[in-house]
Amino acid sequence: MAEERIWWRVISKEGRGTKAPPTLPTFKLVAGARLRMSFTIMTTFPTQYSHPEALVDADWIEQHRNDADVRIIESNEDILLYDTGHIPGAVHIDWRSDLQDQVIRDYIAPDKFAELCGRNGITPDTTCVFYGDKANWWACYALWAFRLFGHEKVKILNGGRDKWKAEGRTMTREVAKYPQTNYPVPKKRYDKEIRAFADEALAQSKASKPLIDVRSPGEFKGEITHMAEYPQEGVLRGGHIPGAKSMPWKTATNDDSTFKPAGELAKIYFEQCGLKPGTDTVVYCRIGERSSHTWFVLTYLLGLENVRNYDGSWTEWGNKVGAPIEKSA
Amino acid sequence: MYPPKLEKIINLFESLPEIERRETLVSYADNAKKQEPRPGEKFVLEDVRKDEECADTVGVYLQVDDAGKAHFRMTLGPEVQTLTRAMTAILCKGLDGRTPQEVLELPSDFVTRIVGAELVRVRSQTIYYVLTRIKGICKVYFDRQRMAAVA
Repeated sequence: MAEERIWWRVISKEGRGTKAPPTLPTFKLVAGARLRMSFTIMTTFPTQYSHPEALVDADWIEQHRNDADVRIIESNEDILLYDTGHIPGAVHIDWRSDLQDQVIRDYIAPDKFAELCGRNGITPDTTCVFYGDKANWWACYALWAFRLFGHEKVKILNGGRDKWKAEGRTMTREVAKYPQTNYPVPKKRYDKEIRAFADEALAQSKASKPLIDVRSPGEFKGEITHMAEYPQEGVLRGGHIPGAKSMPWKTATNDDSTFKPAGELAKIYFEQCGLKPGTDTVVYCRIGERSSHTWFVLTYLLGLENVRNYDGSWTEWGNKVGAPIEKSA
Repeated sequence: MYPPKLEKIINLFESLPEIERRETLVSYADNAKKQEPRPGEKFVLEDVRKDEECADTVGVYLQVDDAGKAHFRMTLGPEVQTLTRAMTAILCKGLDGRTPQEVLELPSDFVTRIVGAELVRVRSQTIYYVLTRIKGICKVYFDRQRMAAVA
């Protein structure tokens, strides 16, 4: 019976049925239906993450944190938080001093990335598991930056630092040290693939392609130029990039900072935002950290390809001469 | 130029290499809880609120003794960042015993000498937040004293 219902929905989605499905599919796929279902249902309303291996829980960390080919990496907004205690064995990578060029607003060059990995005992075969404060904003940012340099084995600790701490897991102030490795200098930085610049965001806007603004509703509307609880970071104008849709990053998380189930994420981004597999999508926020979180959701949890993070974000767009702005609700 | 207790703290931080500076800041942050009001203490002014610039509620409590010297207590919500905690402990200790007017006239340039260039960034402008709040409560006290004198 369940199989028949699912099949009927697939036919409807393909335009060969006579009635639209009355509700979103919420039932589990039955054995045998999966293959026939996968074309439509698994793409639009998946029952599992596209890359479930990209998320680990605390138990996984406990079991694998001493593995030679695993490196736990903490990245935070609170600059001294790692120093106050962290997961045993975790190293600290700071979004600004480690990942960003100290003169130009840009990321470090490939040789600096190789140095960063080398001094943290990371090789191209190391599985890097990121976690941090603020529901993993900066963990996702660091993961995205690692992907910029082509490092492939990356994961996020679901729930981040807060959940680890809330569960009463072990923390230490001992700074982990690992033998220096010789990480080969990446041949390129994958800016073109996963990063958008201002002119590309403008082209996205002009072409009416998907632009997702993950800031708070007040920032999107132009009522405020910084999120609540944060200082003004030097933006002159408020609003959003014309054509952008508002979907605050937090929509993708539960109260304990874990990611929502695949079906809920699909409803948010496919149904409410109208995103489709294969379509170029650009996400942005204010400096690129909240949008890294959404980039991770879209790329790893929903399996969308061609998602780029506009890390210049509103601190660039809101100050940029000639950049068009919308202030609509 | 700075109150002697604060000057001593500034000199200590400036003498430390970066790693020890961080450790000392964390140590001060650990001690921030000791700056909370103690049972039986009374204050002339209390200012407990959550501002947009800070991640959680911060309370400032002012005592002024018979000699006109100020003493501060502070409460911090759990989400307050580590540097803010450190500055709380540093300022409660460093400004203890100064008059409210002396606190008001204190320049803020010493903050970066304590924190160091490595840890100062736009998102961490809250390193000035505690000083701003302490000055704020001193200003209210000072203005009330002046108004009382005029009346």
